[in-house]
Amino acid sequence: MVTFNYNPDDKVLTATFSGRLDTLAVQRVSEVIQVKLPVKDGISEDKIVFDLQDVDFISSSFIRICVSVAKQAGPGQFSIAHCQPFIKKTFKISGLDDILNVT
Amino acid sequence: MAENLQEKADEILDKAQLASAEFHQYNQEQTDRIVEAVFKAGFNNRVKLAKMAREETGMGVWEHKVIKNVLATQLVYESIKNEKTVGVISYDARTGITEIAQPLGAILAVIPVTNPTSTTMFKILICLKSRNPIIISAHRGAAKSCQETVRICYEAALEAGAPEDCIQMISSGSREFTQLIMAHPKVALILATGGTGLVKAAYSSGNPAIGVGPGNVPVFIDESADIPFAVKNIITSKTFDNGTICASEQAIVVMHTIEQKVIEEFKKQDCYFLTPEEIKKVEKIAIVEESMSMSPAVVGQPVSVIAEKAGITVPEGTKILMAKLDGIGKSYPLSVEVLAPILAFYAAGDYHNAVNMCVDLNYLGGIGHSACIYANDEKRIMEYAELLNAGRILVNTPTSQGAVGYFYNHLPPSFTLGCGTGGKNITTENITAKNLINIQRVCRRKPNDLWFSHDHAKYLDESLNFEEIIHDYYKNH
Repeated sequence: MVTFNYNPDDKVLTATFSGRLDTLAVQRVSEVIQVKLPVKDGISEDKIVFDLQDVDFISSSFIRICVSVAKQAGPGQFSIAHCQPFIKKTFKISGLDDILNVT
Repeated sequence: MAENLQEKADEILDKAQLASAEFHQYNQEQTDRIVEAVFKAGFNNRVKLAKMAREETGMGVWEHKVIKNVLATQLVYESIKNEKTVGVISYDARTGITEIAQPLGAILAVIPVTNPTSTTMFKILICLKSRNPIIISAHRGAAKSCQETVRICYEAALEAGAPEDCIQMISSGSREFTQLIMAHPKVALILATGGTGLVKAAYSSGNPAIGVGPGNVPVFIDESADIPFAVKNIITSKTFDNGTICASEQAIVVMHTIEQKVIEEFKKQDCYFLTPEEIKKVEKIAIVEESMSMSPAVVGQPVSVIAEKAGITVPEGTKILMAKLDGIGKSYPLSVEVLAPILAFYAAGDYHNAVNMCVDLNYLGGIGHSACIYANDEKRIMEYAELLNAGRILVNTPTSQGAVGYFYNHLPPSFTLGCGTGGKNITTENITAKNLINIQRVCRRKPNDLWFSHDHAKYLDESLNFEEIIHDYYKNH
């Protein structure tokens, strides 16, 4: 469901998700995400990237987690990468694609 | 205070927008499973919700509200369950056009006090079927029963896999807050059912709206009609839920030739013709003089209560109070819409005058809504239909049950009846799920031979007139 990869050279933590991120799945991964986040005192020294290349459904609870992580990471430190067009459109409809830096 | 309200509105719409983002990913099967679950939950609570609505509003008849709830659940579900509302909904091989359904986004649904639980369930079902999150804004007089309806539907929807916050309810009953929500940039559409002021507010909000306002339904009983049948049907309709449906009959118009027969038939079927003095008394309690609009005190009340309020005595068991009036307009208060078992009655010298009276009644606050004719003369039926400005011209049919569809005809069952441009609406249709989707058209290249075989330089030649160019345009080359 989610794997983490840290690149110390670029100081980028990439969380790679896969499959269907419905409410139940999100409940399962949310704790793992919180544990792995390199956030201290509300600021992340590392960049955090959520890679959604192999994701085919996202629930509103997953979008909420993205917003929460983006806030914790601080300005410019969070982004969402490799969205399938359908998922990109979902972020567009949510109106949060700019805040979440969706590419 | 204003900031708090704005924050509250933002919070509701943010949630709705997230629900919208999730909902657009659902396929037809997932969507239909949710709609079925909500229909069943609403249907199973039809009696409880009807009783709650009656108790809270003090309007109508609970047994009739059960029927309204059945229409809003079972019959609406029957009418939409097989509709395609997700993805490709049609393909025309001749034109090469494929139609794709897309949801609209957050829909604000304004609910009237007269049909609270039924309208809430109806709007929830058609919104879910079209994958749109819905925000219920209930009339403050029916807030509790609407809240319970929302709870029942939302729990069933979630159980069936619907997105979180796909159904929300505005708890604040303040007009300021409702207007704030109406104008919110994240609202995709307002589905407003209510009085003139509310519908106007919806249209003035800057957001797209389907608003449905008041009616003032005239009924013409022609000489060719079966009079006992007509009277029986009118009574069935006007007494249904004590007349709370906006499509209920408001005035009966006949010609002098059958006037006495019709009056006798109404009397025979337990309706009471008020004396001129009694008409004055009923006017005072039924109509607010300053605004010339119905008084909430009589809406959905039975004859016994209205008579008591007016200080008149009528025979026990009277079904409808009949007011024989000499004119239409401000000087005749009972000629306007009253959602209660009170009917205006007119007699005209001839057919044309009778139809003219119906047109006047139609234009007195009910443009575009509904009209009715009892006749067995097809020519007159069609003539009447073309003269009246009404989205629904009901023929030999009780208007309350006829206009909402399904029972007496094949109109889609609906609690939101479009009134066309006359009623400041965009459509005259009975609103249903298909009105809540954006249809995208994939237009494949199908070049028009006439256009491409024509010498377009001719359009630039000022000396050539219409006949010469058009002749050339349609010539086979």
